[in-house]
Amino acid sequence: MKKGLKFDFTLIAILLIPIGVAINVVISQLVQVLRIPLYLDAIGTMLVAMIAGPWVGLVTGGLTNVIKSIFSPTELPFAIVSMVIGLTVGYFSIKKMFTSVGKTIIAGVILTFIVIIVSTPISVILFGGSTGDSSSAVRAIFLASGQGIWKSVFSSNLLIESIDKILSLLITYTIVKKMSDRYLSKHNYGQNFLDS
Amino acid sequence: MSFIQLKNVSYKYPIGKGDVLKGINVKIEKGGFYALIGANGSGKTTFCNVLRGFVPHFYKGDLRGDVLIDGKDIREWEMGELAQKIGFVFQNPFTQISGVKETVFEEIAFGLENLGVDVDIIIQKVEEVIGLLGIDYLRDKNPQELSGGQKQRVALASIIVMEPEILVIDEPTSQLDPRGTEEIFKIIELMKLKGKTIILAEHKIELIAEKAEQILVFQDGEVVMQGTTEEILTDPQVLEYGAALPQYALLGLEMKKRNWEVGQIPLTEQQAITTVKGLSHPKGEQVCHS
Amino acid sequence: MKEKSNNLLLDLYPSTKFLITLFIIITVFIVKGYLYGYLMVPLCLLLALYAKVFKELLGLLIKTLLVLITFIFLIQSFFYPGDTILWSWSFLSLRQEGIDFSLLLTSRIGAIGSALLLFFRITSVKDIVYSLEQLGLPSKVTYVVLSTLTIIPEMKKLSMTIMDAQKTRGVETEGNLRVRAKAFLPTLTPLILTSVASTEERAITLEARAFTAPVKKTSLYRIEKTKKDTVVRILLLLLLIVIIVWRVAL
Repeated sequence: MKKGLKFDFTLIAILLIPIGVAINVVISQLVQVLRIPLYLDAIGTMLVAMIAGPWVGLVTGGLTNVIKSIFSPTELPFAIVSMVIGLTVGYFSIKKMFTSVGKTIIAGVILTFIVIIVSTPISVILFGGSTGDSSSAVRAIFLASGQGIWKSVFSSNLLIESIDKILSLLITYTIVKKMSDRYLSKHNYGQNFLDS
Repeated sequence: MSFIQLKNVSYKYPIGKGDVLKGINVKIEKGGFYALIGANGSGKTTFCNVLRGFVPHFYKGDLRGDVLIDGKDIREWEMGELAQKIGFVFQNPFTQISGVKETVFEEIAFGLENLGVDVDIIIQKVEEVIGLLGIDYLRDKNPQELSGGQKQRVALASIIVMEPEILVIDEPTSQLDPRGTEEIFKIIELMKLKGKTIILAEHKIELIAEKAEQILVFQDGEVVMQGTTEEILTDPQVLEYGAALPQYALLGLEMKKRNWEVGQIPLTEQQAITTVKGLSHPKGEQVCHS
Repeated sequence: MKEKSNNLLLDLYPSTKFLITLFIIITVFIVKGYLYGYLMVPLCLLLALYAKVFKELLGLLIKTLLVLITFIFLIQSFFYPGDTILWSWSFLSLRQEGIDFSLLLTSRIGAIGSALLLFFRITSVKDIVYSLEQLGLPSKVTYVVLSTLTIIPEMKKLSMTIMDAQKTRGVETEGNLRVRAKAFLPTLTPLILTSVASTEERAITLEARAFTAPVKKTSLYRIEKTKKDTVVRILLLLLLIVIIVWRVAL
C-alpha cells in the first residue's frame, strides 16, 4: 500500500482538491441559508479523502481553513483539525471502513473522538474555550454547572461533533456511492466503492 | 511510412465489459484532413484519445496493437512531448479553460508557460494567434465569463498557439449554435491551409462533406469503411453502419434509385445544384425541387 | 507584469507585507501587558486607511472578532479560577483574575486577527502564490490555490441554481428544521456529482496544455522586489531588536 506521495497526488487527485475545498465552503453557506444547526463543512474533505487517499485529504482540509482564514483568521489554527479529518478518513478508506452504513457510523464515532482530542486544546489554549458561535452557549451551560473549562469544552464538543461528524460521513458515503464506476476507477482509492 | 499508423489496435477500459476499439488498422498521412463519423458510442472519442495518448497514459486500461506517431509508439512518448506534437480539443467548452487565468490573453499563454517558453516569445505567439483567429475583442475578457462558442474558440487558440503538427478535434461544435459552429470550422480550415494534419470527429455531415478529404466510418468500435470523402459519403452502405449522409447525397442516391441520370452523386449544395441543372430526366417525370 | 498602484503599502512585495504581519504576531508575545496588543488593532486600521481598505477591514473585524471577544470576556470573567471576587450574583462570580486573563487573551487575538486580516486585504492571493512559486513551491500548488478561488464562486452560483430548480420541483427550503434539512441533500448531491465529474475533463485539458511537461515553467505574470521592500524589512528588523532589548533590559 506504501507507494509514496507521488502515487497519491495524481493529476486528477490534485484537481479534486479545489473541488473539495469549494464543497466545504459552499456547504458552510448552504447550512446558513437553510438554517441547519450543524457545520457539515468537512464533507468536501471527507469526500476527497475517501477516493483520493489520506494525503490528498489532508491537503484539502488544510487548504480549506487557509482559504477561510482570508476572511476569518480564527479559522487558521483549526486547519490542524481539518487536516486530521482528511488524514483519518483517508486512512479509514484504505482500511475499507466505508463499505456499509454500519461501518461508516463506527468510523464516525472514532473520528469524533480524534477530532475532539485535537480541537479541544486549540480551542481552550488559543481562544479560552470560546469560538464565537452557537457552541459557546452550550459550553457556558456546562461551565455554569460547575465543570472546568477543559471538561466543558470537551463535553460540548462531544455533543455537537458526534452528530456532525457521523452525519457528514454518512452523507459523503451516500454521495460517493452514487459516483460512476468509470470515474471512481480513475482514483487510487476509488475501487472500494465500486458497485461490482 | 505513414505519419500516424494504427496496426490491429484494440482497447478495453479498466472498468467495463469488452473492447471499445476492435482491431483498428488506420493510416494517416501528413497534412490530410480526416473526419471520423459514426453513431454515438461507436468508438470515435476513444479513437481520438488513443491518438492523443490519453489512452493508455491517462485512462489506463488495456491497449493492444501498435500506435505509431511519426514512427514512435504512443507508449514511449512523454505527455509533455505529445502536447507539442498533437493538439487536442474536445466537446465541452466549459472544462477546456485552465480555470486559473484572468484574461483570454493569459489563458492562451498558459500552454507555452507550461513548456517553459521565454516570456517575449510567448507574447509574440499569443498576439499572432489572436490575430489569426480574429479574437482580438476577447483578449482582456475573463475566460470564465465567455459564451460557449467564445470559450471553444479560446480553447482552440490555446492549443494552436503551441503549434502542434496534428490537431485531434473531438466534436467541437456539438454544444454550439450554427454561428459558433461556422466560426470553429473556419479555424479548422485555416489550420488545414497551414499544413496541419487534422483529425475531426463530427456529426455535422454537411460540413464534413464540404471540408474533409478522408473519412473513417466507425461502428461498434471498428473502422468499417475508410476512403475519400467522395467515395464514402456517396455510398448508401454508410447509412447501414449508423452514420449519416449529407442530404444532397441522399437526394442524388434517391434520384439514382429512380434511374435518373445523375452521374456523380452530389455531396455539397453547390454540386447538387449543378447535378440538378444538368439533369436529363426521363420522360413524363417532373423534377422535384426541394 | 503587475501594475504599480503608487501606494507604498500596496506595492510592497508579498513577503514584505507578510513580515509586517509576522512582526505584529511576534511582538505581541514579547511585549508585556494587554495595551500593546490592543494598540495593534487601531494601527492595522490606520494602515488599512492608507491602503484604502479601511471599511473592509473594519467590517471583517466586527464580524469575526467582536463576537468572539465578547464571549471570551463573558466566559473567562465568570469561570476563570481565582479568589479576587469583584461582584457576585447567585452562582455567578465576577473575578479579577478572569478579567485580567480575558484582557491579555483578547488583546493577542485582536492583534493577530487584525494583522492577518490586514495582510489579506492588501495582498492578493495571486501575488502570494506567485511569490511562493518563486521561492520554489511547485506550480501545481499555485494551480490548486488559484483554481480553488475560481471554483468557489462558480459553485456558489451553481448551488443557488440547483436550489431554485429544486424549489420549482416542489422541494421546500422554508419551514421547520425537518423540512429545511430535507432540502439539503437534493441540493448537495447534484452539486457535488457535477463538480467532481468535471475534474476528468479538466485533467485532459491540462494535459493538452502541457501542464505536466517536465520542464521549468515560465510566467507572464511577474512581481518584483524594490528598494522600498529592503527599507521596510530593515526597519522591521531594527524595531524588533529595539523591542527585544527594551524587554530584556526591563
